[in-house]
Amino acid sequence: MGSANSFPLAVVRRHRLLAAMEAAGIDEIVVYGNAWQGDYLRYVTDFGILEGHGIAVISADGATELFLDSATDAERAEAEAPGIMVRLAGDIARAVGARLDRVANHRLAAAPRRFLPAWLADAARSFTIADGTALLDRLLMHKLPAEIDAIRRAARLADDAYGEFIRAIAPGRRQYEIVADLEAYLRQRGCPDNFMIIGSGGRDVFGMTPPSERRIAAGDLVTTELTPAVEGYYVQICRTLVVGAATAAQAGAFAIYREALEAGITAVKPGATAADVAHAENDVFRKFGLGDYVTSKYTRVRGHGIGLFCDSKPHILEDVDTVLEPGMTLIVHPNTYHPEVGYLVLGDAVVVTDTGVEVLCTTPRELFEVPA
Amino acid sequence: MRRGLIARSRVELPDVVFDTRLERLRAAMGELDALLLYTNNTRPAAVSWLTGFIPYWSEAMLVVSRDRPPLLVVALTLRVKPWIERTSRVAEVIHAPRVGIETARLVSGRRADTAVGVVDFDGLPAGIADDLRAAGARLSLSDATDLFTTLRARADPAELMLTARASSIAAGALLRIEARGSIGEIVAAVEKEARRRGAEEVYVAMAPDLARDRRLVRIEGAPRLGRRFSVRVSVAYKGSWVRRVVTVDRDGAALDPAEVAFAEAVAQLPNDRVLSQFASFLVEGCCAAQPLEALMGTRVAAPHPPVAGAAVSVQACIEVDGQPVLLGAPALIGSSGEASSVFP
Repeated sequence: MGSANSFPLAVVRRHRLLAAMEAAGIDEIVVYGNAWQGDYLRYVTDFGILEGHGIAVISADGATELFLDSATDAERAEAEAPGIMVRLAGDIARAVGARLDRVANHRLAAAPRRFLPAWLADAARSFTIADGTALLDRLLMHKLPAEIDAIRRAARLADDAYGEFIRAIAPGRRQYEIVADLEAYLRQRGCPDNFMIIGSGGRDVFGMTPPSERRIAAGDLVTTELTPAVEGYYVQICRTLVVGAATAAQAGAFAIYREALEAGITAVKPGATAADVAHAENDVFRKFGLGDYVTSKYTRVRGHGIGLFCDSKPHILEDVDTVLEPGMTLIVHPNTYHPEVGYLVLGDAVVVTDTGVEVLCTTPRELFEVPA
Repeated sequence: MRRGLIARSRVELPDVVFDTRLERLRAAMGELDALLLYTNNTRPAAVSWLTGFIPYWSEAMLVVSRDRPPLLVVALTLRVKPWIERTSRVAEVIHAPRVGIETARLVSGRRADTAVGVVDFDGLPAGIADDLRAAGARLSLSDATDLFTTLRARADPAELMLTARASSIAAGALLRIEARGSIGEIVAAVEKEARRRGAEEVYVAMAPDLARDRRLVRIEGAPRLGRRFSVRVSVAYKGSWVRRVVTVDRDGAALDPAEVAFAEAVAQLPNDRVLSQFASFLVEGCCAAQPLEALMGTRVAAPHPPVAGAAVSVQACIEVDGQPVLLGAPALIGSSGEASSVFP
């Protein structure tokens, strides 16, 4: 067997999975995915599901069956994930159940178990499926060098895409027209997937959502998080711009977010916890009397893991004690509402290294301005 | 995750559309005191049909009671409440990270042994089902999928109008294909046009070289474009999903005979006698939670043909002179004695 670098990423991941299964004494692992929570399934099959349910059953010898209830996705999986036995099943729970009936005396685990169809997890079945989510979570969080390489390439794309976002902003344009431009830009570059939300306005804006029909106006703060994917690996960048010249209040508020981001990134190092990073960000807001605005009333998380899902573990929150280790990839983003100017975002993707942190995005941490 | 336009139009979907659907549902509830409908971004159809709510992210549970306005229990944060209220018709939105626990608490709070029907109970995420049982130990939970699918099978006029709009968006997007363009330019042009026309979601798939492989895949990178290729666009518009497929021959070979054969075959639906003579075919439609489920097709082991008045999407691979032509379009299933018809 050659070095890990000489094999396709999917094969290397498979070897890692099988080793983890063996160490945990698991004979078969059942892995669920849909277009919202597709990372576990992508890890084990290399298939990016878009429609319906997908459930893979992986045996200790590496044989993999992928059950899908979408006929269009089943056809796609056969072409996009060679080496996987694809089975189209209208009632996917019972189809997988029939497969597991044959190995009911084996040690079975599922990830993420809480997403399995209820029928399959029911105690009335002939088999019992333990929760194997933590096993997959470890593999998903601790990236291989080849995974980090894909994330680096996605980061370059994210930087370029933010440049395109700036060019797309103009007074009178509707939010969804801007997103249409961005998605087209990414498709033209061969990028099949992206997650993005957007906000525009002033103090009336408390967050970002999918695009609306709202038109960009002079004086707006325009926020976005762009999250393009390369080979299934997502990277996120968060930036804010102003339509016109930034006011003193907007510039002053933004400086706090920049300081918080820098504090958060500085806190990222092996041995630190997710909570340490969140504290570092939030302490900056507290210092400026903005402690209320780092609570769940105004912000969801202060960053999160990135990889095969755009919002993976660990969540950067003051009560998350996950220890950061080399090979983890995160976005640090102190995004929240500012009472004087509205919702502001600023965030960069990073990788935890042996000695500290490496920032993956190169877009300047500026409050950008576009002509009004 | 959704990133197209999500906006409610009270012209296309006036309140009375949702109210009428709810009344039909309540009338069909029989002995049930409450009905639960789960939604996430891959299973949004049941809840969006009743409320217009489309989760771009996360999950939610709609609680329909006999005597109270519907409640939506969402895992999305409170900050998103104004967006939900702007884009859907729900009387009350309750935010809770564990929607199963909060739903059970709300339903059992009125009466501990309430009879509760759950649409697609077997397919509910196990964690949600566990939470429902744990927080509502005395609730009488049963599957109510058949009740819902019977109501949902035939498209009402509002759904037909949205399907027609989605079909028009898809057709307009496919007109953007430049036969001599690069594969990246083609995918970008189709997706951009669909989003620019207001699509809520767009998936573009291609068979880049039909001489090598007739399967439609998502494009990553820049695979080589063959002499003949196919493009499929799947478009959602305000909860209604359609697919259209076109084949392009870069040498200009006429594909009209295949298009005529396709339309003739679709007109026979729900009888698949003609469609089944093609190299392959697939008919998809909405039954409950997933927008496009396989109803009939070459690979569908247990077909359930669409009812009269259903809106479906049809795809087929037709061989003309030994060369494949992939085609697809949404269609309306005719009533007894009427032909079915492709949406323009």
